[in-house]
Amino acid sequence: MSSFAEFGTLVKNRHKPKDKPKDTKVALGFLAPWLIGAIFLSLIPMLYSLGISFTKYNMIKPPQFVGLMNYRHMLADPRFLNSLTVTLTYVVISVPLQLVAALALAVLLDRGMRGLAFYRSAFYLPSMLGGSVAVAVLWKMVFGSDGLFNAFLGLFGIDTSMSWIANPDTANWTLMALHIWQFGSPMVIFLAGLRQIPRELYEAASVDGAGKWRQFRSITLPMLSPIIFFNLVMSVINSFQTFTQAYVVSGGTGGPSDSTLFYTLYLYQQGFASLRMGYASALAWIMVVIVAVLTGINFALSKFWVHYDD
Amino acid sequence: MKRMWKKYVATGLAAVTLLATTACGSSVGAANVPVVPANGDVTIRLSWWGGDARIKATEEAIAGFEKEHPNIHVETEYSDWTGYWDKLAVQSAGGNAPDVMQMDELYLAFYGSMDALLDLNKASDYLDLSTMDPSLKAMGQVDGKQVAAPMTTSQYGVIINNDVLDSLGLTLPDTDTWTWDEFSDFAKQVTEKSGGKTIGAIAPNNGYGLQLWARQHGENLFKGNAVTISPETLASFLQLPADWAKNGIEGNAERWSENTAATLNDTDFGKGKQAMMITQATQITPYAQAAGTDNMTLAPVPQVTPGEKTMYLKPGMYWAVSSGSQHPAEAAMLVDYLVNDKNAGAILGTERGIPANNDIRRMLAKDATGTDRTSLDFMDKIQPTLGNPPSITPNGASELDKIIVRYQQDVVFGKRKALDAAKDMIAELQESIDFAS
Repeated sequence: MSSFAEFGTLVKNRHKPKDKPKDTKVALGFLAPWLIGAIFLSLIPMLYSLGISFTKYNMIKPPQFVGLMNYRHMLADPRFLNSLTVTLTYVVISVPLQLVAALALAVLLDRGMRGLAFYRSAFYLPSMLGGSVAVAVLWKMVFGSDGLFNAFLGLFGIDTSMSWIANPDTANWTLMALHIWQFGSPMVIFLAGLRQIPRELYEAASVDGAGKWRQFRSITLPMLSPIIFFNLVMSVINSFQTFTQAYVVSGGTGGPSDSTLFYTLYLYQQGFASLRMGYASALAWIMVVIVAVLTGINFALSKFWVHYDD
Repeated sequence: MKRMWKKYVATGLAAVTLLATTACGSSVGAANVPVVPANGDVTIRLSWWGGDARIKATEEAIAGFEKEHPNIHVETEYSDWTGYWDKLAVQSAGGNAPDVMQMDELYLAFYGSMDALLDLNKASDYLDLSTMDPSLKAMGQVDGKQVAAPMTTSQYGVIINNDVLDSLGLTLPDTDTWTWDEFSDFAKQVTEKSGGKTIGAIAPNNGYGLQLWARQHGENLFKGNAVTISPETLASFLQLPADWAKNGIEGNAERWSENTAATLNDTDFGKGKQAMMITQATQITPYAQAAGTDNMTLAPVPQVTPGEKTMYLKPGMYWAVSSGSQHPAEAAMLVDYLVNDKNAGAILGTERGIPANNDIRRMLAKDATGTDRTSLDFMDKIQPTLGNPPSITPNGASELDKIIVRYQQDVVFGKRKALDAAKDMIAELQESIDFAS
């Protein structure tokens, strides 16, 4: 609960004056362990990679300055454009579907049914497992030609030995399904958010004769909008960085036919397999820009639909 | 407050610059340690890729080496194929490469041309390479330097699961001089007779297969740093899986795609659901184990013109010594032991391929049984078709195998026409080679 509440407060207060200098010092002291890590393990390597992105570097010979060559190379690289398409398709389709699934289940579970704790855990379980290598391996088997999914289809009389993983038209869909299946984290956050909505609002609405659907649209959605926004921003950023699932399911190739060549996977291939560290760094920085732009768009659009109760 | 931030940023930038300069300075370099044995105890590191059987055999062989050289201790590192190359690149970047490393033909030119590998001629007092075929030895050279010792050879052949053929009541045609047409006619019958349950074969999909295809068409894949295969010949190779998917030899496109990505035990051939497999001859033993039958034999690869000298002695794997090694003499002794020692030869067997050392190969052939015997004898069978070795894969083309599969998939799934794919693939390979050199 706390993280997105703070998130909302931060967004709200972003133009207000900061705290007193004395408080800042104390805060810095408490933040020191994190700050040291952030500077030495994240910030410095990041800036180093920015430098590397202007060089030709194969990790063995010293980097050679090449100016903007790596960035120019992207414009002529069909695999780069393809990896962008693959990733954006994945984000645009799987993020909204995942959020809708999470919200729907959260609303269902919020009715104070018996055994709620059990259901909550049960639905959360995939999120604990979903990002792991083991589940990606499992996924590969489930959607293989003699996998569980085809056996399931067989129950309905659809007899097929189609391999959903090995076909470029369906491979990305199996990964999207894997992403949607991990609706647990947003669901738990939605559940917490639903609890914060004052019950009186619903009572008042039902006195006024509003049906369930009307209540959901006019009370739940607006009241929940900061949380939906939080989940949306986090989901877009996270799913843009999807790597493990695609790496495992395609055996590191992004195949078949580059249909699961996610942006991060392509970046990894360029850096560690083709040993073009300079190009990989440039790709990484373009990704930073893309994610920043997407997040910026999200924030800009939030004005029109997110309500903070102040 | 504002000025404070400026200070932070300035400090940060200074730190980054410092870090960048030091990091750039510490790239790999030859240690230039004289190649003489050290006095006292020495520890060297040995690294390879491979599965459980290889780990067991190698550890056992090393125990024998340590017994013979009590002052040398060998530490071992191993991983799977993909992880191995990621790790080696990072280790080399950090100046921390293992003293002795297993090397592949795809990566030899890269590490060789980066001066990351020791010229083994400098260690000739401790390492004897005269026990192998000169044409094979030459394939361990980069820019005229002997940067690696071929430890095994690898031959392409057709592994045939006779159990499958027997159960379908099919008889193999004469394989000594068979053509691709004869091969595919027969493979088609397998799929047809089994009603698609069992498939005939899958099309070759790696650099070795492509090299042989080029040679059979009177061409070479590479010459020095140039991609010299013609777009037409490459197109016919890229088209092969698409044709075989259509006529049923490999079932359908997805089945082929799935088979190319699967680990050995999960392939149709490993599960006994495929009659023939075009691959390294020594793979016959692991495939026989996976399919649970001993009834497998080897046939030569079909040719365009039967009897031509299109085969060659391809090094299966190499041993190489890091140029940064602090103990090059001891590292060379270890390589010598692994390549030339009879006990080591007996322990290592054919798991890494057919031993490059001819004496050890003959010794193994005498005692071998079952599928091991079949693969050792196969060398003699293809002897008449051995020609001159081609150029090794140039620096920048290490990803060849994956590139081939990617373009073949594009053709199989109808994303590109074979000839367009071939032209693009040649351009991509050449760009990659030019970029690396």
